[in-house]
Amino acid sequence: MLKVAIVGCGKIADAHASVIQRVEGCEIVGVCDREPLMAKQLQERFPIRKCFGEVGELLSEARPDVVHITTPPASHFEIAKVCLERGCHVYVEKPFTLDADQAQRLVELAEKKGAKLTAGHNNQFSHVARRMRALVESGYLGETPVHMESYYGYDLGDPSYARALLGDQQHWVRRLPGKLLHNIISHGIARIAEFLTCDHQHVIAHGYASPFLNGIGETDIVDELRVMICEEGRTTAYFTFSSQMRPSVHDFRIFGSKNGLLLDQDHEILLRLRGAKFKSYAEYFIPPLLFARQHVGNLLGNARLFLARDFHMDSGMKYLVESFYCSIRDGAPVPIPYRQILLTARIMDAIFDQLRHQLPNRLVAGRSRADLAFQAQPLASKMIEPSSTGVESQSGTMRART
Amino acid sequence: MPVPGFPSSIPVSTDAIHDSFVISRDDRILVTGAAGFIGVRVVEELLDRGFHNLACFVRPSSDLAGIEAIVKRHPQSVRIDILKGNLLSRADCEAACKDVAVMFHLAGGTGEKSFPDVFMNSVVTTRNLLEACLRYARLQRFLLVSSFAVYSNRQKSQYLDESCPLEAHPELRGDAYCFAKVKQEQIVVDYGEKFGIPHVVVRPGSVYGAGKRGLVGRVGLGTFGLFLHLGGPNTIPFTHVDNCAAAITLAGLVKGIDGEAFNVVDDDLPTSRQFLRLYKNSVRHFRSVYVPHMVSYSLCYLWEKYSQWSAGQLPPAFNRGRWYAQWRKTRYSNEKLKTMLNWKPRAATVDGLRLYLQSCAQGEGHA
Repeated sequence: MLKVAIVGCGKIADAHASVIQRVEGCEIVGVCDREPLMAKQLQERFPIRKCFGEVGELLSEARPDVVHITTPPASHFEIAKVCLERGCHVYVEKPFTLDADQAQRLVELAEKKGAKLTAGHNNQFSHVARRMRALVESGYLGETPVHMESYYGYDLGDPSYARALLGDQQHWVRRLPGKLLHNIISHGIARIAEFLTCDHQHVIAHGYASPFLNGIGETDIVDELRVMICEEGRTTAYFTFSSQMRPSVHDFRIFGSKNGLLLDQDHEILLRLRGAKFKSYAEYFIPPLLFARQHVGNLLGNARLFLARDFHMDSGMKYLVESFYCSIRDGAPVPIPYRQILLTARIMDAIFDQLRHQLPNRLVAGRSRADLAFQAQPLASKMIEPSSTGVESQSGTMRART
Repeated sequence: MPVPGFPSSIPVSTDAIHDSFVISRDDRILVTGAAGFIGVRVVEELLDRGFHNLACFVRPSSDLAGIEAIVKRHPQSVRIDILKGNLLSRADCEAACKDVAVMFHLAGGTGEKSFPDVFMNSVVTTRNLLEACLRYARLQRFLLVSSFAVYSNRQKSQYLDESCPLEAHPELRGDAYCFAKVKQEQIVVDYGEKFGIPHVVVRPGSVYGAGKRGLVGRVGLGTFGLFLHLGGPNTIPFTHVDNCAAAITLAGLVKGIDGEAFNVVDDDLPTSRQFLRLYKNSVRHFRSVYVPHMVSYSLCYLWEKYSQWSAGQLPPAFNRGRWYAQWRKTRYSNEKLKTMLNWKPRAATVDGLRLYLQSCAQGEGHA
């Protein structure tokens, strides 16, 4: 029986506890929060043996094999470090750390201690994402991906989070290096990082506060972001984060030399985009029919999963947790190769670094479009390179649980 | 904001009813959630009763228009401190509780579906306030505004009053608000027992008045373009916001009621069917289907079982616990409120509902 602990008993901890109790062969032996009431409320609602107020106490008394870290991101590194030093395997919620340097140090420590690490990039393990991965691995796209597009929409009207953030100048999200973006975009960036093949990318980022935020006097938060990621002569990618774009999509498109794929996370839809064309007018009639057939296939597939009780909202997290526990128990590879975790962190660093050097948003507020056009700076790009420490043992493509 | 035609500031006899409040009119009173729907009215009620040393705790993002309007309506001798802060901050709580003689704690997590969020914004904040009160040892009363959500409503009789049992397993009701409110009451009672903090709990029913819109869940649920009318012949435990504010104010001030809980409902309550008809006639028409109690109970039972069987593939949003709490046929009492606090509803239900529906209609028109 794998002994599991959760550190941090806020909103996301609920999802972890809910998932862990559905995974066979494990037990939540303890939860921990600096606020004892929060730890207690989680214990009361889930089958949890004990609650603690200090991480050290949790590790000493409950002796967990795996620790899930679900605290605000600023504390991820320190807590993960303590857990790894005690020999625990660690699941760190997204964003993995505050920067790539911290991520690198955690990976090195995990390897040194013979422990395993994973990041909470659970969207990559939803049913539809796994179907997409299987198709890519089967060679459907052709060889190396040519281009990717990752869209990540975020509704600022969502009362559960955005209102708390916008109304609180002391909110922890504001203290992150990338603020709102830092807490959200890793899902969308990790999708791209999974299919990047080099360790050298150019990153060009442009971000700004939307007219909506400017209108309510909020100039510190960047809620519109456009990023271009280029590998030297190989794969390119666009990343779009938007709070204003409707529909607020979570889509991913990947194009190879033969075919493409479109993943719609919100509706759990995967569409194959044929590279070959039909002759003449057939191109206007046959592809719509083929798309219709694919949509029906998606509908039936989702219905089948629902009827089989395998279509939970957090099914991606469940698969990731199961795969991670499997890697611990059976010595299988970790579900997310460390290279991807580090690459995601480095791309995010590059984005936030460029945003810091952009025109400050507060200067943008109140200026006319003409002023802005006149003052627009050429977009600088940043070359990111991996650090020299060896994590090759974990590199490779995303591994599916066997 | 006051509804035209309905007196916003009802003359209050400051001495006639109670000559023995727990504090004098110079003592400091703290109202948390003072910018909220009920909070503004409580502030005004306190001022009308002659209390003139008030502190209003509000979130930094709160709309202060309501409080500012009250300040304008009252003489300059009145002292109203607006304290902007976060009740999750112990420092903010300590600053707010200094020299406070009576605390009206109205702030809480509402409208959120996440258990940790509502819990944090209701229970942790309440604990912070209680701790801060201990520090200063001046508090004469901690008045907590709770909710009818805390009742399990599984008593044998259809009659619900303050003696009815609270939800023993709020974690199973699938309702974050219910869970947080039960725990919030528990922590107030615990601090009362352990540290002798004098406390009173007020549990309002469905509070209505200008500024609120829509139909309460006790009437039914809108889904896929159709309104499922679940209340049917049930009485809806309405209380007009002004009546509710008066009850809260009295419960915070009257001597000799420490440790008591009071339900707040008005007289002459309409049934769900009557209210729905009024709403459709006054605000807007829409299609609704009455779901008999037997059917709604069965559906809640099936949903609950499916949720368990599928390990939460559908969250347990509907279950028997919720059915009992919201849709079981129930009669309500305000006898304790009238007897112990000498509370009388100032706004007659028929007038209050008429003006409320008018304001809803105006809101619909503007939407």
